[in-house]
Amino acid sequence: MSELAASKPETTEDNNNDNDSLTPSTFLKTVLGRPVTVHLSSSSRYTGILSCLDGYMNIAMEQTEEYEGGQLKAKYGDVFIRGNNVMYIATEKKIK
Amino acid sequence: MSTKVMPLELIDKCIGSRLWVIMKNSKELCGTLRGFDDYVNMVLDDVTEYTMVDGVKEKTKLEQILLNGNNIAVLVPGGDPEA
Amino acid sequence: MSSISAPLDLIRLSLDERVYVKCRSSRELRGKLHAYDQHLNMVLSDVEETVERVEVDEETDEVIVKKESRSVDMLFVRGDVVILVSPPLRTT
Repeated sequence: MSELAASKPETTEDNNNDNDSLTPSTFLKTVLGRPVTVHLSSSSRYTGILSCLDGYMNIAMEQTEEYEGGQLKAKYGDVFIRGNNVMYIATEKKIK
Repeated sequence: MSTKVMPLELIDKCIGSRLWVIMKNSKELCGTLRGFDDYVNMVLDDVTEYTMVDGVKEKTKLEQILLNGNNIAVLVPGGDPEA
Repeated sequence: MSSISAPLDLIRLSLDERVYVKCRSSRELRGKLHAYDQHLNMVLSDVEETVERVEVDEETDEVIVKKESRSVDMLFVRGDVVILVSPPLRTT
């Protein structure tokens, strides 16, 4: 399982143009509490408010709706999604 | 005068420009690369997602995503699946 | 969810409560959560397991979704098959 460098200082050489790049770890800090859509590799997707996440991309969400093939399948008050299933996290509005 | 380019250096040069991402599971994404980390998890802007549904390519637009590096197969700098 | 600072806190708060677990290969579990670890290996009791099978009728080509359920007193779930965990009683 890949671990995001969420809490690590960004010292690696691939982050050296730090002026205008938005690294995964900064993205994670800015999306907390926002409405997001989480797409799993199994092609189901979850929309809700992002409560918190960790370096494994494990996710806790609130007011979550589950969609499969565009159809609403279920609603969850709170939900935990195991990070290895996550393909991407999309925000509704752009973060600058 | 051999100029070796490390794989991640190449990706670093792509920051700010369009990048075509081919996933292991026949999905493809194209977006502007905002940043990435050692695992090649990436933040992409103005993304178009291409999914094969019954042999037909479906397009989805996404404003901004954090893409898990786990399922990435191929990265094409500047590429566009429609071109 | 104010007391949550990490996703696994949500699981910790669900200890001794009934939870819903969505697993790979269309498997769902509902049971009381006794223990878990950082891999999300879990011990559940009074479990109802539901497996969804999609079959195609050979004569009519109809797609039939079959749900099979069974009860298990206590079981161990290996973390890597877990997709999602939710406390079902708080489900809207």
